[in-house]
Amino acid sequence: MPSSEFAIETQGLTKVFRSRLRRREVRAVDGISLAVERGLSFGFLGPNGAGKTTFVKMLLSASRPTAGSALLFGLPAQSPRARRSIGYLPENHRFPTYFTGAGMLDFYAELAGVDRTTRKRRIPELLERVGLAAWGDVRTGKYSKGMLQRLGLAQALMNNPELLLLDEPSDGVDPMGRIHIREILRELEASGVTIFINSHLLSEVEALCREVAIVHRGRVVLRGAVKDLTAGKGYRLVATGVPEALMEEFRRQSVGIEMNGGRPALLFPGREAANRGIDALRAAGCEIESLAPTSCTLEEVFVRTLSSQS
Amino acid sequence: MRVTAALIADTFREAFARKIFWGLFGLSTALILFFLFLMKIDIVEGAAATVSLFGRESPRQWELNRLVRQVQSGIATFLYTWGMFLAVFASSGLIPSVLEAGRIELLLSKPVRRVHILLGRYIGNVLVVGLNISYLVFGVWSILGWKTGLWPKAFLLTIVFTLFIFSVLLAVVVLVGVLFESPALATMITVALMIISPVLAQKNTMERLLSSEWSRDIWRGLYWTLPKVYDVGRMTLDYVFDRTVENYSPLWSSAAFAAVVLAAAVIIFSRRDF
Repeated sequence: MPSSEFAIETQGLTKVFRSRLRRREVRAVDGISLAVERGLSFGFLGPNGAGKTTFVKMLLSASRPTAGSALLFGLPAQSPRARRSIGYLPENHRFPTYFTGAGMLDFYAELAGVDRTTRKRRIPELLERVGLAAWGDVRTGKYSKGMLQRLGLAQALMNNPELLLLDEPSDGVDPMGRIHIREILRELEASGVTIFINSHLLSEVEALCREVAIVHRGRVVLRGAVKDLTAGKGYRLVATGVPEALMEEFRRQSVGIEMNGGRPALLFPGREAANRGIDALRAAGCEIESLAPTSCTLEEVFVRTLSSQS
Repeated sequence: MRVTAALIADTFREAFARKIFWGLFGLSTALILFFLFLMKIDIVEGAAATVSLFGRESPRQWELNRLVRQVQSGIATFLYTWGMFLAVFASSGLIPSVLEAGRIELLLSKPVRRVHILLGRYIGNVLVVGLNISYLVFGVWSILGWKTGLWPKAFLLTIVFTLFIFSVLLAVVVLVGVLFESPALATMITVALMIISPVLAQKNTMERLLSSEWSRDIWRGLYWTLPKVYDVGRMTLDYVFDRTVENYSPLWSSAAFAAVVLAAAVIIFSRRDF
């Protein structure tokens, strides 16, 4: 695998779907230029129909771009060589039901170029890792959705990938299973694997990814580090013994007030306002119990971003 | 090569799981058993002795030889028509199944060229049917040989010719499968080609009957373009009866048809979005 700073690099990647008579066209992906560094865990977010899956399919060469280019570790995405170091778990996968769990892993690993000795060693290891050690000899037709998802993850890991592309990885998995998958992905990230997650489950992405991009109508509308995007600019102050006159003054200054067990929590929009508020509270003899910067969830960032686009 | 072998093995796995292989195998076995029953093999009296076949007594070796070849031609005709139809019908789902959403993306995510995916399926399918044809033909050939002491090797060519035409028709199944993902449509089109073949084969008669040159050209064009299922079938019978075959054009023109159709399927599949 050639050395490249980026695991994924796209330039103006575009996909236009045209109707048979070419009268109507849908721009599913509209000139996305995105670079994902090696070793990064990256969340690719967007509402339904935003173009996330089409983007991933172009990375895998399952769909041909209308325009633009995609590189995986510096190699053109359409070259089979580029796919040697990739593990992929598609959304709504349909594993043939005639396979046993172990048989399925063996087949897809063989296609991925994993030799027989490695396959023999890796299959029980990975079945154990995803919690399906007892299910290796059972046909996949008997698996629950969550089990299939975990088997799919094991399949994606068979070739020791450097890049893991996961489309809704915890879809249909119970909460304990999700935690388990999250742990596996954290271990992989720690070992330097690049993880690209395409998901609707924002809390999952927030817990797992260091960076995210939000896609809307085929374009990236926001990109950044999760901790920067969710960091608030304001401060939350809890005080006791605040006189009603001062509360009224805060209300006039548009300071947010939440009542928390009879104690007011004051939400200052910025550092200056917080300092002025502290001065006023101290002057009134109030006791300050806590002061902390506010933060928001990725979901709030997501909703705010999409609302501003509509 | 390793990847293609894995895909061929997968086609076998699916053929077993869908009971396609066992269906064809069971049918072949039933035919062989039925044939055994007809032959009433209870006493082998020696090659020179009078042999009873289907109730006919045949004291002379040359008549016996003729009778054996007639029986073999009957089996070859059955295999070539009804057997072929069943094989096409059974195989028609094996291409669309691999193109199902959620399955094809996973295959395409592997470092495998698309042509290998399609050819792996194609070759796997030919082998599934080929094994069953071989089993049936060898079974019948052995029973007849055992009963009569006559072992005409020409009958074994039925395996080659039947499998050849199946490969040609399977190319159509693959193309229709890639284009429309419909097993039913693939069967309909392929069977239509089988049905139209004996009609088109009446080329000489039709050339006399058709009044205009352009209509004769269309007939000739269709005859030369489409696979010659009927002509190759005749050729098979000629071999079985030890007759001389002078015209091999049905073979190469059908092979050319298959090559073009298969190449089209590969090109379309390679360019298709999933």
